[in-house]
Amino acid sequence: MSETHEAPVVRENLWMKVLRTAGVPLLSVVLAMAIGSIIIAASGKDPVLAFGALLKGAFGSPEQWQIGNFRAFGDTISRATPLAFAGLAIAFGFRANLFNIGANGQLLLGAVTAAFLGLVLGGQPTWVAIPLILIGAALAGAAWAFIPAILKAKVGAHEVITTMMFSWIALYLTSWIISGPLKDAAGNSQTPMLPQAVWLPTMDQLLPAVFRTPVRAHLGFIIAVGLAVLVWWILKKTTLGYGVRAVGFNQWAAQNGGISIAITTVYALCISGALAGLAGASEVLGVQHRMFDEVSAGSGFGFTGIAVALLAKNHPIAVIFSAILFGALSAGAGMMQLTANVPDKIIMIVQALIIFFVGAETVITWFIKRRQKLALEREGDSDVA
Amino acid sequence: MPVLELREITKVFPGVRANDRVSLVLERGEIVALLGENGAGKSTLMNVVYGLLAPDGGEILVDGKPVRIRTPREAIDLGIGMVHQHFMLVQTLTVTENIIMGHEPSRFGVIDFATARAKVRELSLRYGLKVDPGARVADLSVGMQQRVEILKALYQGARILILDEPTAVLSPQEVGELFGVVRSLVTEGLSVVLITHKLDEVMGAADRVVVMRDGRVVGETTPAKTDQVGLARMMVGRDVVLTVERTPARPGETVLEVRDLVVLDERRLEALKGVGLTVHAGEIVGIAGVDGNGQTQLVEAIVGLKRPQSGSISLRDKDITHAAPRATIHAGVSHVPEDRQRRGLVLEFDLAENLILGDQRDAPYARAGIMRTRVIDEAARKRIGDYDVRTPSIRVLAGNLSGGNQQKLVLAREMGRDPDLLVAAQPTRGLDVGAIEFVHRRILTERDGGKAVLLVSMELEEIMSLSDRILVMYEGRIAAEFAAGEADAERIGFFMTGGSKKDHAPAPQAGTAVAGGGGL
Amino acid sequence: MWLSFLTPDLFASAIRMATPLALAAIGGTICERSGVVNIALEGMMLVGAFFGVVVTLATGNVWLGVVAAIVAGVLLSAIHAFASVTLRMDQVVSGTALNILALGLTGFLMEVIYGHPGATNGIAHKIGPVFNFPTGGTGVLATIWSWVDQIVFSYTPIVYVAIIIAIVAQWAMYRTRWGLRLRALGEHPRAADTVGVRVQAGRYVAVLISGALGGLAGANLTLEQVGVFSDNMTSGRGFIALAANIFGRWTPVGSYLASLLFGFAEAIEIRMQSFQQGNQIPVQFFLMLPYVLVVIVLAGFMGRAVGPAAIGKPYEKE
Repeated sequence: MSETHEAPVVRENLWMKVLRTAGVPLLSVVLAMAIGSIIIAASGKDPVLAFGALLKGAFGSPEQWQIGNFRAFGDTISRATPLAFAGLAIAFGFRANLFNIGANGQLLLGAVTAAFLGLVLGGQPTWVAIPLILIGAALAGAAWAFIPAILKAKVGAHEVITTMMFSWIALYLTSWIISGPLKDAAGNSQTPMLPQAVWLPTMDQLLPAVFRTPVRAHLGFIIAVGLAVLVWWILKKTTLGYGVRAVGFNQWAAQNGGISIAITTVYALCISGALAGLAGASEVLGVQHRMFDEVSAGSGFGFTGIAVALLAKNHPIAVIFSAILFGALSAGAGMMQLTANVPDKIIMIVQALIIFFVGAETVITWFIKRRQKLALEREGDSDVA
Repeated sequence: MPVLELREITKVFPGVRANDRVSLVLERGEIVALLGENGAGKSTLMNVVYGLLAPDGGEILVDGKPVRIRTPREAIDLGIGMVHQHFMLVQTLTVTENIIMGHEPSRFGVIDFATARAKVRELSLRYGLKVDPGARVADLSVGMQQRVEILKALYQGARILILDEPTAVLSPQEVGELFGVVRSLVTEGLSVVLITHKLDEVMGAADRVVVMRDGRVVGETTPAKTDQVGLARMMVGRDVVLTVERTPARPGETVLEVRDLVVLDERRLEALKGVGLTVHAGEIVGIAGVDGNGQTQLVEAIVGLKRPQSGSISLRDKDITHAAPRATIHAGVSHVPEDRQRRGLVLEFDLAENLILGDQRDAPYARAGIMRTRVIDEAARKRIGDYDVRTPSIRVLAGNLSGGNQQKLVLAREMGRDPDLLVAAQPTRGLDVGAIEFVHRRILTERDGGKAVLLVSMELEEIMSLSDRILVMYEGRIAAEFAAGEADAERIGFFMTGGSKKDHAPAPQAGTAVAGGGGL
Repeated sequence: MWLSFLTPDLFASAIRMATPLALAAIGGTICERSGVVNIALEGMMLVGAFFGVVVTLATGNVWLGVVAAIVAGVLLSAIHAFASVTLRMDQVVSGTALNILALGLTGFLMEVIYGHPGATNGIAHKIGPVFNFPTGGTGVLATIWSWVDQIVFSYTPIVYVAIIIAIVAQWAMYRTRWGLRLRALGEHPRAADTVGVRVQAGRYVAVLISGALGGLAGANLTLEQVGVFSDNMTSGRGFIALAANIFGRWTPVGSYLASLLFGFAEAIEIRMQSFQQGNQIPVQFFLMLPYVLVVIVLAGFMGRAVGPAAIGKPYEKE
């Protein structure tokens, strides 16, 4: 029987691979939407109207596209931008087997740092100020992840609890900063408007030929795409990435191979924190141009970032597409609420369902793989004898 | 009428027939040995009998009546008990709690612990299996834990007892005691199936032998009608060289020197209480001992996974006492870990990635923090050829290899690094005869090439056939040292279970020093 | 000034604040002892708090509200059980999805039912204290009595229920057949399986119990403490409860006592807010206090805590 068994590696081209890996996530999205529709219908609203509005809100209409009006799609991209950063943050953590559930805290620290540095560096030339602000925000996010990282590495305190606690601490800390030291001249709980020099340019400013009317999408998205490629490269081609993946898959073997679990944990969680910090900074510099209370309240992008990462199966490039999907949901939700009177909270329900279906799918493939492996093992053993 | 009869049991896993029409008869008061290599299908068969696996075909008869066994519970109710190779004991619970679980004496769900303890005491007296009913299982020695397992089966009313590789973790003396207990169980009317791959146990303990290979029964005999060579031929399907051919060692300079080493375990108790040893270039030093006597901690301290409390470790006069794994690798230590799937390999990595684990940051595989894929792949292809790892490609994930090929992969990496010292822990655990021969040959090649080798194994036979010197560990100390060929299993076993010179032991003979920094 | 801070009603307040944490923490203990991590306690509290209010408003009966809270918690936990026990999904991922689901579902239904986001309508009458002993008068005895009354007799029913549950669960865990099997499930499920204990059924029961306790914790929040449900009002209490479970070394009474510590921090936080004259210290710093304390406790204690060996690992028969 061993003579006849085929080699386990089937050659497949890139497209087959993409289809195979993306098929189930897409199916998960469809299923989640279907259940979402049922919930909408059950609450006495019209799901067709609702999702029609959602699509229109997220992508606009052909008539708009013809005149170069990509406002709706721009909204989608602008929502996708912080989600992409947050998704990358959480995916990177997952690759080291760390669940940065409190990314929202690092995001808030990044946001408030960006607002502060924006006010300080507003007089500098744009090309000096913006990189400095982004670096500062990333460092702030990393710093906020540092204590949970150290606690995980040194005493084994679970990052799910510690980053969550730090997320709540960050919420109150930033709330104090913007209602105290950084409050605006009128005494409102928000920072003053940042000088235009530190605003991230919008797509219509960058590519006026394509975007003939103003859009909210901004340079941040291009930075996010660049970072996704960078993160992919780091994971795949650097010794740091090798260590992160080794620790994530099997920390015992990694340790035996001379990789320090503690140091890798600190690196990975801080890099995750830095990426989350950039999510906050891009929102402040690109969309709000100030930080105000509403941004810091609510569950925020950090939470949605979890769904983004899981749907992308923690692959940095896939995170971008996953972020666009969730960005579309979020951008379309407003139109849906307006047109079909469906509360935008339905989006969170759909999010949760997507996580479920993707999670369940992983289980199924894992199970199939395992059975194949078992079979291979037995045959392999008889080979050797 | 047989107490247990299996007729044409078939169990198919995707792509493989683990049991192919296997039939077996067990008479009352009989010890049947089920002999076969790892992967021959013995455990699968017994898991079917114990209700852990559903058969795809065949029939099971208990006391002549056909039965269906779908869960362990149903097996227990039919009087079938099983002592698993990896004990099914909850470490944090007491002996009594472990024994009664599933059949707790209770009223309205409240456990009657007084009755439970009394029952456990009574059973342990009746069968001569002394244990403390109130002790936590985690605090017991391996031999003791096995007694608890047997008591558990008896408590549940077992008349048919399946012992799955029961001697794997015992010293020769404990093995003797175990078979004594088994004999007394049989005289009380129990019937025993002994799953094993060890020929001497079959010869010594069994009434009848059933031999399995590749999922089929390939023969049946009695110890009186055959010998070990004959059994081995049946088991493997070809002639097997039972002894390893080797030339005498030519030890060179000292490579590893360990002095007064004290190491704590997870519970912060002293697992090593002052161990001293040396390993020279071109020699294999074997560490014999029952599992859990400090061997794991000794290995972990040497390779840098565990920080010693006191004492020193040096490699060619370089102090590596407090070195981390990366530093010990650089100093020239290679490590074949006892659990290759946990410590040795990242199963989700492909073969090329696994083959640089430990060297991933060093030239030529990386430069300035960036991996050099082409160099890595080239080296991987070469090593896979050198060590005969059977795989269609270096892109296959390590988790998809068979156990034997996984171990070859670990050897390819660790030996391919050209170390000064090779630390090999349980290098043949779970492998079949072909793979075992391969590993043994490679270890001897390393020695002949001037490497120092520290070999740790529970398999006394392996230690005796490979080692140039044998150290016996007991309770965190080196209890005895023997030169190659000077020791027999009996004498080594005596020290493995705590015997010392003061007892009326078979005295160590000339040239055999009792070593160990901490002494006895 | 600092002495007058430590009044009897501060201790009473601590016990009140500890109650939802303790219920959830005991639920977490039972769940984790069976080998299932439950980070969805937060969501279970949230749906309990929400549906408690909804049913109370709909029926006018606050006790039906309590029942609804428990049922809601159990239903949510049933999804967790199905995902993590039957589907063998990653338990932390399942818990995360449930937390988001709870947040979305309560927010969505709130708008559908009451027509406005942010908060539900308030309930007419919260559940009152069990005892109403007369206090008052002057003299040492009367003062001592008023202290005793405040510390012992001033609570609403679920507060007492939580204490009883802690003690009963502790006893059950170490003295009953259920408890013995539960402890085995989280340490070595295969060992339990081989002696005929049904692993998956046992884990289902444990997860459902944690859901019931989470729901009850939510009922305490809305029906006894606040009287109204607002978005995300559990504010991380589910995670604090998990920390309390760890600090309590995976025992029910330990969980209760650890919750008491965190409840005390919350009580102090509330007291200090009203205690300071003017606004020398911004309110946000008081609000941070419980979370900071959790981190400090975990940092100082974690190294010595050892959880169940098989926690988080799905069980699969051969």
